[in-house]
Amino acid sequence: MGISDVIPIPAAVDEELEKWTIFGQPVADVWFTTTEKIHQIIEMGPIKNVFNWGRKNSVYFLMQPMGCCGVEMFVFGAAPYDSDRFGCIPRNTPRQTDVMIISGYITRKYLPVFKSLWDQMPEPKWVIAIGECAISGGPFYDSYNIIQNTGDYFPIDVFIPGCPPRPEQFLEGLMNLQEKIKQRKDRRGY
Amino acid sequence: MTTANEVLSSIQSALPGAVLDSRVESERRLWATIDPRKIVDVCKYMRDKLSFDHYSGTAGLDWIAKNEMEVVEIMASHGAHQVVAMLKVRTPRENPSVKSLTGLFWNANWYEREAWEMLGIKFEGHPGLYPLLLPDELVGSWPWRKDFKGYPDLTTGQRAVEIPTSDGYTRYMIPPTTMEIEAGTVPTERPKYPSLREREEMELKSDSEMIMHMGPQHAMVPGPFLLDVLVEGETVKKAFLDLGYIHKGIEKIMENRTWLQGITYTDRMCYVASLSNNECYCGAVEKILGLEVPERAQYIRVILEELSRIQSHLIGTGEFLTLIAGVGYAPWQYMIIDRERIISLIESVTGARLTHTFVRFGGVRNDLPEGFSEKCRSTLKYMESEINEFIELFEQDPIYHLRMDNVGIITPDDAKRMGVSGPPLRATGVAYDIRKEDPILLYPDLDFKVAVGTRGDCADRIDVRLKEMLESIHIIEQCLDRIPAGPIKTEAKIPKKIPAGEAYYRVEDPRGEMGMYVVSDGGDKPYRVKVRGPFYATFQTLPPLLEGVFIADVVAIAGSMDGCPSEADR
Repeated sequence: MGISDVIPIPAAVDEELEKWTIFGQPVADVWFTTTEKIHQIIEMGPIKNVFNWGRKNSVYFLMQPMGCCGVEMFVFGAAPYDSDRFGCIPRNTPRQTDVMIISGYITRKYLPVFKSLWDQMPEPKWVIAIGECAISGGPFYDSYNIIQNTGDYFPIDVFIPGCPPRPEQFLEGLMNLQEKIKQRKDRRGY
Repeated sequence: MTTANEVLSSIQSALPGAVLDSRVESERRLWATIDPRKIVDVCKYMRDKLSFDHYSGTAGLDWIAKNEMEVVEIMASHGAHQVVAMLKVRTPRENPSVKSLTGLFWNANWYEREAWEMLGIKFEGHPGLYPLLLPDELVGSWPWRKDFKGYPDLTTGQRAVEIPTSDGYTRYMIPPTTMEIEAGTVPTERPKYPSLREREEMELKSDSEMIMHMGPQHAMVPGPFLLDVLVEGETVKKAFLDLGYIHKGIEKIMENRTWLQGITYTDRMCYVASLSNNECYCGAVEKILGLEVPERAQYIRVILEELSRIQSHLIGTGEFLTLIAGVGYAPWQYMIIDRERIISLIESVTGARLTHTFVRFGGVRNDLPEGFSEKCRSTLKYMESEINEFIELFEQDPIYHLRMDNVGIITPDDAKRMGVSGPPLRATGVAYDIRKEDPILLYPDLDFKVAVGTRGDCADRIDVRLKEMLESIHIIEQCLDRIPAGPIKTEAKIPKKIPAGEAYYRVEDPRGEMGMYVVSDGGDKPYRVKVRGPFYATFQTLPPLLEGVFIADVVAIAGSMDGCPSEADR
């Protein structure tokens, strides 16, 4: 299908346009294409860097306190450590967030709930695991009710060790995530 | 004043033959083994005649060597006297069953449910033995029994099978380990009970009613729990609570760690009040050992516990004010800024922000740093002015009063009957504070008042917390004036194996009465640690309290209790 089939332009112009390319793809393909195709093209071009610049500077996180680290997460989001400086603002619902912070132990009962919270988050999305419990079960590693291998269920980009880590470490982890997004090295490949 | 001896002789004369065995530990602790057939009569007699109106909970024990189970009923009084009676009931290990106390004490319900799901002890006459903390697949395997084969379990996550459901959610099935199958501890026949969803739907009477879910994820509660409310229009008709989303099995884990390692777990039980949890566990062990804590160590403990109380009340109040959003986002930020000052003060002593592991058996870990006293005094002075400002601010704010006044009222009698403790109880006007009732450490020598409210509504609960912070400041100032020089640890050597014995120790946690029942069988690990958490008791009162209120008030009421689901789930 050519452009002249849709828009009334001279056939000569159409022929000329078919020779044009954008990032190695014929322009006509790009014009009459699916969202998926556009995404592929964005993926290849430098425009992606602009997108990721925007994404990395507005990583809203899900306020989801689950353990001791949850209390440190409160402080991290509040005035003394002020995560707002990095474009990282606490949100109360998963539907408005970009980053999920796993701030504690995941139990058998909470795992399906947690998965549905993750599913509710719109793309693009990232995960940060905070504290020993979220990484490997922590002090509760041998409990009958704790999931140790959180990394198998969620594509975790940044692990922040500590029991619980200090809010400064939260900030460092956040900056690491931003760097990863910028360099396109995150687990889900944005 | 009634003493333990008088209580014992009164029971023996009124109900001859009911007490099989008894031990009077001190004036305030009575240990008695009761005939299982007469436990309800004994409790009824104690409640009606000896004013034991505070049912503090139940602990189940599995004596596998003696082939029997034991249920310990903890009974106390709301200020009439200071005796805590620990009534033991024994039952054979095969098909264990004891009589339920739910007919006498409303709040026995949850404690007995917990004992049933963890140890498999049936309570005859209990209205609904449903699981409370455990996920469905573990019910029937009785994880706290000594012969439970599912512990230690390092494969839970690897075994989980992901099952996508038709409505777009993911379910997980965690098949049992080979070890469990070989040992035959996998429940082949699960106890029959309706699920939470089915129980909720049974209550739906007409088309105009619907069920609203609040949780399990909630932004401003430091832990997940599910609160379902059945609403008709704007009015809540019934509320359902489901917890156990962060049930870690701390009590089971502590049985498998050494005595000293146990302290770290008490930290992580309620992480905003870890110092009082430390104190509670260490105090119980000291009681078994019969240790005396040096005076300086006692002062350090009191100073830090009171500092911890201030920071806990600050974050508790702050969280709550964000819940009723329009009123208090700014106070939350101010409270967190102030809390950081307290935290850094505690950190300068303990080296940690939240999980301190600072209190040790017979003392504390390290001494106060140089210049602590001056720094503390200046911070407290600042805090005092800040808290007075908060009190003034809330008094003036008309919106605050519209949202909070006469919302979620608990009457003093109801509060006592339901077993509430801490600020929610004191807000109703009952001056019940363990620091006065069952004093530990230096508290008898210190001068402080118990802050009480008058109406028992949400505003009063916040008011009591704010006033309590001022009292805490007053206590710390006295301690700083009087603190003597000297050792910070007892000179007695702490043995690795604690001699056999048992103790029940109570402290005033920021959230209320916290008690730990520690049993030793002479080994290097505790035989059993039972935690009687304050928020577990307060949590239980939420469903009846929420009946008949507006949806908008649900968060105000639930939040004003200063929740810590982690400590309830353990």
